[in-house]
Amino acid sequence: MKSFPQSALKALQKPALDCASLLVPTSLRSDWCREWRAELWHVRQACNLTGEVSWQVERSITYFCLGAFPDALCLRWHSWKGFTPPEPLRGSPVKCILSLVATVACFYVISILTPGVRTARRLAWNHAYAGVVLIRNAEVTSHAATISSRQFQGWAAGKSKYFDGFAFYRIAQRPVQLWSSQRKNCKIAYATSNLFSLLGVPLRFASQTASSDENLRDAVLSDRVWRKDFDADPNIVGKVLHVHGRGFRIAGVAPRGSWRLPERVDVWLLEPDSAVRTGSTGYVLAHLSSAGEVEMWAPRVFIKAYGPHDSELDLLGVSLDQKVPPPLSVFLLGVLLAFFALPATASVSMSEYGLISHKLTWPTRLRRWGFLGAKAALVLIIAYFASFDLACAYATLFSPLSVYLHLSSCFLICLAGLSWACRDQRQRCPVCLRRVTHPAQVGLASQTFLGWSGTELICAGGHTLLHIPALPTSWFSVQRWLVLDGSWDFLFAR
Amino acid sequence: MACDAKLSHTAAMILQAIDAGFVYGFSIMEMTGLPSGTVYPAMRRLERDELISSRWERQSIADAEQRPPRKYYKLTAAGNATLESSRRRYPLLERLIPSGEEKPV
Repeated sequence: MKSFPQSALKALQKPALDCASLLVPTSLRSDWCREWRAELWHVRQACNLTGEVSWQVERSITYFCLGAFPDALCLRWHSWKGFTPPEPLRGSPVKCILSLVATVACFYVISILTPGVRTARRLAWNHAYAGVVLIRNAEVTSHAATISSRQFQGWAAGKSKYFDGFAFYRIAQRPVQLWSSQRKNCKIAYATSNLFSLLGVPLRFASQTASSDENLRDAVLSDRVWRKDFDADPNIVGKVLHVHGRGFRIAGVAPRGSWRLPERVDVWLLEPDSAVRTGSTGYVLAHLSSAGEVEMWAPRVFIKAYGPHDSELDLLGVSLDQKVPPPLSVFLLGVLLAFFALPATASVSMSEYGLISHKLTWPTRLRRWGFLGAKAALVLIIAYFASFDLACAYATLFSPLSVYLHLSSCFLICLAGLSWACRDQRQRCPVCLRRVTHPAQVGLASQTFLGWSGTELICAGGHTLLHIPALPTSWFSVQRWLVLDGSWDFLFAR
Repeated sequence: MACDAKLSHTAAMILQAIDAGFVYGFSIMEMTGLPSGTVYPAMRRLERDELISSRWERQSIADAEQRPPRKYYKLTAAGNATLESSRRRYPLLERLIPSGEEKPV
């Protein structure tokens, strides 16, 4: 009875030939298919003659079928007159760079497609909540709304040394008419129109175009409501929802995880300062001026304010800026630490011993160092995207945990990537940058101290031979390159 | 193609294998130990350069043996001359695939 891998491999073989045949020019296709099918029959017969019926046999036959692809490509290239097929990529520097670029592209696409990561990046670039303080009554310990709209209007109209902007919001539970017939009880935040700009939170789908109907005020949906009740409609902006019979134009969607203030909110209704209802209590947000930032050295600060009739008010300003370092700083710190730790994990020497007698030309040297630099740069870009993706996937945005996760993953990816880049460089021919191949064990371990014992690898282009000692000794401690002279030419077609 | 043109070691091995009587793709693979993805494209290039030529086996022979017909390859005059120069260039070639080791077709 055939195992699953065996059946799966067998099922792959003929479709692989059919797919490869599509690459063959039409005039040659039937002849090509006939030859490959005949060869496949003979390969199978030969395998059956050996009496082995295992998945390894099916694997060998499948490898044989996969060889049809280079053959088909070869015929296709021959059909294009004047076209020179690219040299095989195996071990070439081009393949290495292409693989790294593909990895960068993968992580970039992941960060674009993952909503949490995208939001985190946008918020980080916009410095959301930087310099924003939530002001509340110092005598009230809970997160209840304590500031009256009248006090807010007084502060917003006046001048302050420490604050250069104020915003206000109050929460109410209201039935909202989302669609023509659908009504839903939502938590509404009646907020001043500058709320999101003061917080530094960019709205999704926000457009600068004003409503055609001047009577319509703007509304902002939470990410949850937008997904649940509007099926994540990307054309949501401009549609109208009704609260208490009054229409509001949807101006955007607040990104997920961007609301870090008291009370969960479903919909924000934005109104000018003058329209804030008198007598209501809510939350006041203030943006620190440069003088205020100097004074706000602690996460909380007591504020003495004067209310109506010069009455004194004891207020508490709570910083919403979590003072976590920006992602770029965390990334740069991770890179710096990785560079410090690199010599402990990999040899940073490029082993130019043996090349001293045969000086490489300047363009060759530049190409070699440029290749190493390109690899290191691409590794760092991979680390930047991958560590940010990890931090956002497993921790709350801008929390200390996300910073630690970001820093540690960035450090580890950079360290592993840079170590690989150094190791890979040491195994590449200094002349053509191809990886040396065909390892051959030379000498005997018992002769280590009397003669040469180790591994020899050769450049497929016939430029160099690499000696790696089996056991480093005082006279042969590191690998050495031997530049092959013209007497080796007969082994290589150039 | 000029007979003194430098062939790669792989191409020279394939020419030597065909000369030694391994005249279809799979037998060349078995003799040289090269994978199908190397042997078949190399044979296309050799055929394009007119160093080898191919012909299909007669259907009646294949039917008699109850198998699909094979495509056979043989060296052209230019291929023979190139193989001679390759043997001088790669002295170990004949030791790897001795020419006397004829294989019945």
